[in-house]
Amino acid sequence: MSGLHNLLAHEVVEGIKEGLFTAEEYVSTVIKTIEDVESKLNSFITLDTERALSSAKLIDRKIKENEDIGYLGGVAVGIKDNISTKDIRTTCASKMLEDYVPSYDATVIRNLKQNGAIILGKLNLDEFGMGSTTEYSRYHPTHNPWNLDYVPGGSSGGCGAAVAAGECTVSLGSDTGGSIRCPASFCSVVGLKPTYGRVSRYGLISYANSLEQIGPICRSVKDIVLIMNIISGKDNSDNTSMSSSQITINNKLDKFDIAIVKELINGGDHGVTGTIYSTSDKFKEIGCTCDEISIKNLHYALPSYYTLASAEASSNLARYDNIRYGFHLPIEEYKWDTYFSNVRKNFGEEVKRRILIGSYVLSSGYYSKYYLKARSLRSLLKLELLKLFKKYDLLIGPTMPILPFKFGEKIDDPIKMYLVDINTVIANLAGIPAISLPVGFSNGLPIGLQMMAAPFEEQKLIDVSYALEKTINIQRRPSLT
Amino acid sequence: MISKDELEYLAQISKINLSEDEAKKFPQQLDKTIKYIDILEELASDDSNVLDLQEMKFDELRDDVVRMSGALRITKNLTEDGFLRGPKMK
Repeated sequence: MSGLHNLLAHEVVEGIKEGLFTAEEYVSTVIKTIEDVESKLNSFITLDTERALSSAKLIDRKIKENEDIGYLGGVAVGIKDNISTKDIRTTCASKMLEDYVPSYDATVIRNLKQNGAIILGKLNLDEFGMGSTTEYSRYHPTHNPWNLDYVPGGSSGGCGAAVAAGECTVSLGSDTGGSIRCPASFCSVVGLKPTYGRVSRYGLISYANSLEQIGPICRSVKDIVLIMNIISGKDNSDNTSMSSSQITINNKLDKFDIAIVKELINGGDHGVTGTIYSTSDKFKEIGCTCDEISIKNLHYALPSYYTLASAEASSNLARYDNIRYGFHLPIEEYKWDTYFSNVRKNFGEEVKRRILIGSYVLSSGYYSKYYLKARSLRSLLKLELLKLFKKYDLLIGPTMPILPFKFGEKIDDPIKMYLVDINTVIANLAGIPAISLPVGFSNGLPIGLQMMAAPFEEQKLIDVSYALEKTINIQRRPSLT
Repeated sequence: MISKDELEYLAQISKINLSEDEAKKFPQQLDKTIKYIDILEELASDDSNVLDLQEMKFDELRDDVVRMSGALRITKNLTEDGFLRGPKMK
């Protein structure tokens, strides 16, 4: 049966339940798609297709025996390779973890499996999530399915490319400074960074704990809701997680007050800016108001983000000593300190740069100059945003101020690469939810609209996204044959 | 510009040996990043407005129950008698 890889997650579950096709037929079609396009895209680091087919057969057996298959029964899911999956290698796209096979599932993976999801494999990223293009992966870069010469965004670039190309139906990524929303925008799919604490981080291999969240990348808003309701909730293994109410798809939209943030849209690529303004006209069509506003301290956000993220990275990555797991380097010829310094050569350049910057901003004399200032900005920004959310339901702008760019364009200049994240880091600093929704194309390259809401107001993001998705109805499937 | 000595010190406290190529290009790259974050000096604020952002409550702690994680399976340097082998201290 062909075309099953194009189905959305809720259509897959309904189709299997109604007997229109079997889970095995559907999963086989998805695997066939991977065989057809993976050599062009390089979305995956590790594939687990045999186990996926066995799991599909188990779902079919349950159907025969009239057993419950769960809300995600049979759905093929791709997982960013920094989320721990029991018995499936989890590398973080790093050579430091090239042989690491976790002995436990992250809470989000346990929740997916309990609901019948099938894990197809592990998706590519920039090493430890540090980057915006997947060019910093120590395995291979992933290509943008809309134009193979262009980057897919990052760090969850494998997730964006695989979902857009039908190599999996939905995926889970992680977002520290835009890592879900950037590839969602560049690959024309939907990506949600939840409120900090809504989703358990247990089993997410840490890069910057106070900023990162796991979230879904899907081909529709409906699928985002489906996944979010399965992965959200209080988890005893993550003290920062909190319980929250379920989100739903509402066909009727309340009248929302929306504001375009000037600083997010000014200076952006012409095609991107034009598309975002024409989308803001659509807000009026669906009954919302749309103002233009300014945020005072926004120009401090990106330097603050890189200060805090690097500081947390230098501390988090101190644990990689190659003693308990890692690559093969005999210990006999080394002394304690020299062994660690030698094995840690194996980090990629960008990871090393961030560890060094982290050590710099945390060292005596610089701590108050950088780290404390960055923390202050974080508080000031959050206070300002919370004030704005009393007046506006959503703050919007382009997810990425630029279109996807070609490989190698920014790789030699870290600052140029960091500037790519300028619109997305705000939500991580403030701990608020943000979604990227595909809203158009310019020169054949996708454009995403970013919407941000107050903490735990994901429902507002979903309501407006769903209404817009129906109004805009853009092309979602790249042609790769 | 970050001096050679400063870079060596940062590498030492970060426990990372740098390659010749990295030692050559990192000072300029790190310098650019530091100049970029220098803008934070202009921010009129101090430690007093650092909030507890997540408003987390730690008064409800879970029971500290030991659960078998199976973590020993991932320790490649484990000896037969259950010790973890590391490099010599001296």
